[in-house]
Amino acid sequence: MNARERAVIDALLPPGGPEGLPGAFEAGFEAFEEGFRRDAPFTMRLGWRAALFVAAWISPLLIRRLPPLDNLAEEEQTEALEALGKSRFYLVRQSSLLLKAVTSFGYGSTPAVRRVVGY
Amino acid sequence: MFRDMNGQVARGRAFIPVIQGRTLGGSTVINSAIVWRVPDDVLAEWAALGLGDALPATELHRHWDAIEKDLDVASTPPEAWGGFNRLMHEAALKLGVRGEPTRRYAKDCGGTARCLTGCPSGAKRSMLTTYLPDAEAKGALIVTGAEARRVVLKDGRAVAVEGRLAGREGRFVAAARRAVVVAASAIQTPQLLARSGVVSAHLGEHFMGHPGTPISGLFDGPGSLWRGATQGYDVTHRRRDGRVKIETIGLPPEVVFARLPGAGARWKARMAEAARTAVFAVQTRAWAEGSVREGAFGANIHYDLTKRDMMQIRRGLRFAAELLFAAGAREVWPGVHGLPERLLPGQEARLEYGPDDPACYSWILSHLFGTARMAAHRGHGVVGTDFAVHGVSNLVVADSSVFPTNLGVNPQHAIMAVARLCAERLAERRNGGA
Repeated sequence: MNARERAVIDALLPPGGPEGLPGAFEAGFEAFEEGFRRDAPFTMRLGWRAALFVAAWISPLLIRRLPPLDNLAEEEQTEALEALGKSRFYLVRQSSLLLKAVTSFGYGSTPAVRRVVGY
Repeated sequence: MFRDMNGQVARGRAFIPVIQGRTLGGSTVINSAIVWRVPDDVLAEWAALGLGDALPATELHRHWDAIEKDLDVASTPPEAWGGFNRLMHEAALKLGVRGEPTRRYAKDCGGTARCLTGCPSGAKRSMLTTYLPDAEAKGALIVTGAEARRVVLKDGRAVAVEGRLAGREGRFVAAARRAVVVAASAIQTPQLLARSGVVSAHLGEHFMGHPGTPISGLFDGPGSLWRGATQGYDVTHRRRDGRVKIETIGLPPEVVFARLPGAGARWKARMAEAARTAVFAVQTRAWAEGSVREGAFGANIHYDLTKRDMMQIRRGLRFAAELLFAAGAREVWPGVHGLPERLLPGQEARLEYGPDDPACYSWILSHLFGTARMAAHRGHGVVGTDFAVHGVSNLVVADSSVFPTNLGVNPQHAIMAVARLCAERLAERRNGGA
């Protein structure tokens, strides 16, 4: 992942917080993502790259800020990513769903996360 | 274990993931092992379409009896219910609606809520652990990672299957002395037949299924989502008049998290609450019919829900929310674009009058039928009442693509009984019977 893509994932699942859940990269998301890019079907990989792009470059526009996402303050990054999932444009909402689905698959299957949520 | 890592999508006004197993044993390895005989009202529809002799109820029940004995079918016992199945049971009792533990091929189910990723306790009697080893013991040769690309037709007769070996260089040709039996599912069967030169106006058409959408309820008290038979209970009260069935579903965190709203700290806060949720799935016997064609990147599936389907789903969601509140949910999370993220008791009606656009909902499509449907006359279907493709001898289809209508109940048991019926007819023909 390049720095801009890492920033998207970091904003989506940041470290810290009262629940004791780790951040995405603390939970080892990078290794999962490498495997995903290597093994996933072409259309899934394409969708993932597109979802990261939309998050980085389109989501700030939804809250009337200039892209890219990593230029925004932390709270604004969260607000922009939430706006993706609420967009009135279906494809934008789908990009948010795909972004969260792939991230969840890497994140929710790690022992550190499962331990915290009692799985 | 899933086709295209669950990236296979039906396209219409909404993109709907189409779930299929892709492993030795097929979808039986990754489904919830639910057993439903085709209901009498659906069998009556088949008979009305002129298929009463081809798919006779008495014969199907005989096969269901045999399969249920082979696979130790039993109702999900209360000790395997876990929390979320018990919640639906309590809700059904409280509202006075018909609900029951699902009958499953998982007699000694440990309630790990991991049916959808295989069965860690080995309790599930999937084909991988039952009929496939039996077949191998009787001399069947099982070749994995081999994709059938074409059935070779010669003078109107199926004579061989050509294919390629996945992950290895090489092709294969398997000669067919007696018959070629295609059982590749309602997605792959029509593509294989079309590649093989089968021509029918109905091939790949009439694609039907059970679109489903989930709704979650948040409960007080200890978490219950991670333990229990994956789909151990269902409410069938509105199966006939409302064409919906409400099912429990236990899911691992990585699947649950994806649907939770929010980003950043708010998303993580919802994840921390996830164990205290119960997820009920609303599955509808849709009226919609789509199509399946071969595309550049896999199957090209077109499917669009009708207005009637959307009404059924919206009413089903309201009913599911009523069940969740009856079970004690503090709030429900509809996951519907255009509705509030959280609904409180008394707000269930908002679901019935929610958006009409399928793109506002999150879906999965499972239980797929109809793309090589059976009909006595070749002008009305792809295969005849003897399961043979119209106009081609020795090429038979023995999967859910032959189903003439949507079922409205989980189809694995129906598929197996129809496949047995087909096999029995082939054996009779070989032995010189009718």
